[in-house]
Amino acid sequence: MKAHIQRKVKIIQRAMDSIRISDKTLHTISFPRLAQELEIPLSELTEFFLSVEDIFVNEQKRVNRKIENFLDNGLKNAKTANEAKDLLETATLKLIELLPDYSDLVFSASFYLPKCIEERNRAKKYYKQTFRKIIKKGWPGKIDTVLDRQTDLILLSMYGFYEYCAKVGKRERKAIHKDFTNMINLHLQDRLFF
Amino acid sequence: MKKSTVNLKDKVVKRAVNSLRKSKRIEQISFIAIANELNVSVEEISEFYTTTEDIFLEAQKKDWESLHRYWDRHIKKSKTPGDFKNAFEVFFERFVETLSEDADLRLEMSCYLPKCIKYREKNRQKVKQKFEKLIKRGWPGKDIKVLERQSELVTVLFYGFIDHIVHIPKTERTKILRDFRNMLNLHLQDRKFF
Repeated sequence: MKAHIQRKVKIIQRAMDSIRISDKTLHTISFPRLAQELEIPLSELTEFFLSVEDIFVNEQKRVNRKIENFLDNGLKNAKTANEAKDLLETATLKLIELLPDYSDLVFSASFYLPKCIEERNRAKKYYKQTFRKIIKKGWPGKIDTVLDRQTDLILLSMYGFYEYCAKVGKRERKAIHKDFTNMINLHLQDRLFF
Repeated sequence: MKKSTVNLKDKVVKRAVNSLRKSKRIEQISFIAIANELNVSVEEISEFYTTTEDIFLEAQKKDWESLHRYWDRHIKKSKTPGDFKNAFEVFFERFVETLSEDADLRLEMSCYLPKCIKYREKNRQKVKQKFEKLIKRGWPGKDIKVLERQSELVTVLFYGFIDHIVHIPKTERTKILRDFRNMLNLHLQDRKFF
């Protein structure tokens, strides 16, 4: 990793630790104060970010970008229904690996800080479209209305899964993963929906 | 608590939510402005709330306590597996029916404000315990581990469901509720879990 990126990662990690300890509402944390707590010059912080909101939206986008690339490539390369089916399972595994320890803070920020809300809404639209394509390819033969209904259910399940994973450690995330994907598969095979 | 007090508290919550809807900023919610709009003194409001966070926390508690009371009544009178299954279903119906117009903003605050997050987590455990009890009695024959895994999974999905449903129009909520309940039922009957 380049020295510049390493410094950025270190600053994010320390900023998140400090924010967690302060137990303050995120929008009340001032940037100069944060620099003081991190014992670094403000200029070092502003080299990467302009506000606390920037730190959070950067983290949110980083994870989304990686998952989106993974899904886009997976979908492009999936030739068979089984490959498309596997994509949902592997994408959730990827999410488990990607989410850092401070994901609970990022999750909270996405409900209030304007840039984070915007990113959350954008990502939700993207996931909805992409899950629909995956379901269509992985479980062929469904009519459009069924596809729409099932996409909504998968989308809401994924967001529930994301919330859970953001708040627990990697071990607990992995423990629930198999049950979660089994349940998703079971639902997508449900004859009531055909 | 006197009816007039309850009314005043409800009105304060409504004004705070309206203000948040307009300005999108928590710090723009002013006790003085709310008091003026309601024609009461600031002291009357600060008798119940000391901060804006308190307003949202109390509203969150009130909604959940009412829902739990309703749910408990159904659980208490359940005798057969069918009754327990029904109590499980009734909870989701009641949850959707009683969602307020401003459920989206209330959810956002419950995921963002520190005191509200703490309450949300505590309540999540309470909901999970009740799910476990209902699954045990409604779908008998599962061992403890299966019960724990399934109640965790149902809780994960329910929290994803909350996030989804508060952001869609009222008319669409009932439709997705039916699909969501079917999905949970299918999962709870899954033979792999026995």
